[in-house]
Amino acid sequence: MAQNVTNVSQTEEISSTRRVIAASSVGTLIEWYDFYIFGTLAKIISEQFFPKDNPTAALLATLATFAAGFVIRPFGALFFGRLGDLIGRKYTFLVTLVIMGGSTFAIGLVPGYKTIGFFAPAIVFVLRLLQGLALGGEYGGAATYVAEHSPAGQRGFWTSFIQTTATLGLFLALGVILIVRQTLTVPVFEDWGWRIPFIVSAFLVGVSIFIRMKMSESPMFVKMKKEGKTSANPLAESFKQKDNLKMVLIALLGATAGQGVVWYTGQFYALSFLQNACNIEFEQSNTIILIALVLGTPFFVLFGALSDKIGRKYIMMAGMLIAVVAYRPIYTMMYNAADLKQKTEMVDQTSVSDPKVEVKGTDTVTTIVTKKTFSDGTAYKETVKTTIPLDEVKKAQLAAAGKLKPETKKAVILPKELYYKMIGFVFVQVIFVTMVYGPIAAFLVEIFPTRIRYTSMSLPYHIGNGVFGGLVPLISTRLVEATRPAPGLPPADPLAGLWYPILIASVSFVIGMLYISNKTNNMDVE
Amino acid sequence: MSAIKKLFGIVWSLMGVGIIPLVILQAMKEIAAKPSEENWIFWSIVIVVLMPIISFSLITFGIFALKGEYDVIA
Repeated sequence: MAQNVTNVSQTEEISSTRRVIAASSVGTLIEWYDFYIFGTLAKIISEQFFPKDNPTAALLATLATFAAGFVIRPFGALFFGRLGDLIGRKYTFLVTLVIMGGSTFAIGLVPGYKTIGFFAPAIVFVLRLLQGLALGGEYGGAATYVAEHSPAGQRGFWTSFIQTTATLGLFLALGVILIVRQTLTVPVFEDWGWRIPFIVSAFLVGVSIFIRMKMSESPMFVKMKKEGKTSANPLAESFKQKDNLKMVLIALLGATAGQGVVWYTGQFYALSFLQNACNIEFEQSNTIILIALVLGTPFFVLFGALSDKIGRKYIMMAGMLIAVVAYRPIYTMMYNAADLKQKTEMVDQTSVSDPKVEVKGTDTVTTIVTKKTFSDGTAYKETVKTTIPLDEVKKAQLAAAGKLKPETKKAVILPKELYYKMIGFVFVQVIFVTMVYGPIAAFLVEIFPTRIRYTSMSLPYHIGNGVFGGLVPLISTRLVEATRPAPGLPPADPLAGLWYPILIASVSFVIGMLYISNKTNNMDVE
Repeated sequence: MSAIKKLFGIVWSLMGVGIIPLVILQAMKEIAAKPSEENWIFWSIVIVVLMPIISFSLITFGIFALKGEYDVIA
């Protein structure tokens, strides 16, 4: 009889934990979706809101991309983390969801630069900052909330579902964009169709708010509040007290910094490398990432669960070490698979189109398309577009400034075999991501006490991911550019961008190995 | 193990201090060579955001390690 009661109680507990995970994860996933669609559509958004010929707008474009990614997120972590430790986890991450959803929906409605001028980039910039602020508050709340509902000894497993949301959010963003783009055709998508993924967010957020409203507060927080043990000043307790500050530093330098660069390299740099260094065609490069993400996602849960058995430290450190050692060989193979210089061109199948001349607005646009086929089945399409103003004075001015250069678009289309290989290369990198990222929520929540957990864990997470990870595209691009012998010539080392994640992950690995303990169950409610 | 942790504490602190002149000199060199807006933005981000975080965290972490604050965590 007693055994039956115990079994029923355990079943109810698991069922309740599942509801908590589902409700938390859906909201976090949608927040990531909202955050990623801006980044994924950066090029179109830039054309709509941040025209290159307006220097202030161009500056805002750069700031919108980077500021929201790394400067604002830690501020969001501090602001909402403090709120979460003062008033509770549930209401705080409900607020972050509303802010994120509202900002995303609003971006989809802002008229373009051509309609309202400078107000357009200014409004989008502010909305993007709000997105960053909300994201900064969301993750820590969701991870803390789930961990505080999870049974001891299973926190790695349960929190790993929150860890899948960042990857699934990217997957959802890429998927929605690809579907809308294909349904509407490319010109319509670039004209107004890009707004749909932003507007869709309102529906997703509405559903998520409805689910979250029904959730109960974290039991640990409720108990602590009842006992009057909540922190009066979570920020001061988190960062001014030596005992906690040293844990914040170890979390940042020994875990989240390395995790951040491995995560960004595996998911974002890989896509950028496929599109810019390998020139893989838009849809093919995106589907390579999509398939690799889908195949890799279950491993978040696998490594999260494994960390409950063997500890968080060694899985995260192994992920960092393997990434450090394997990045150069993997990217070399990716580069070689798409390198046309290493392929034999079937010259008899090469075609060059006649120049197509069109008048678009005040410009004459001349387009020439060259198509090549290679013996391994690779196809190559090069589109050279020259835009010349009809106005002779303007034409002379642009010519004098050297701005009449043609715009070249390269697209490599891989044959099936190489396409699958490329998926394999990205999949391996996603596995590294799952190793470092799967157990990290459990690791972070366990090293900080309940009274200041939301604040303390959010900051190192967002500095690690936002600053160290978020800067991977900027610094890596810069490192590659530094190897370019002259403008217009290809870089001498297209893999030079990897030195930044390799260096950060190496330092993080050494610090993590030396100073982090491998405990799995040291979470308390004090 | 404690001795190694403390010894590395010196390494982290020195790295944190050393990175400041290294980054500033590199920024000055590159901006002087090509004072473009792109260069200014890049180095502003590195100097204002990344460098202070790396320096402060490495120096403080190194001092804590040197004082044996992390000995008990093992």
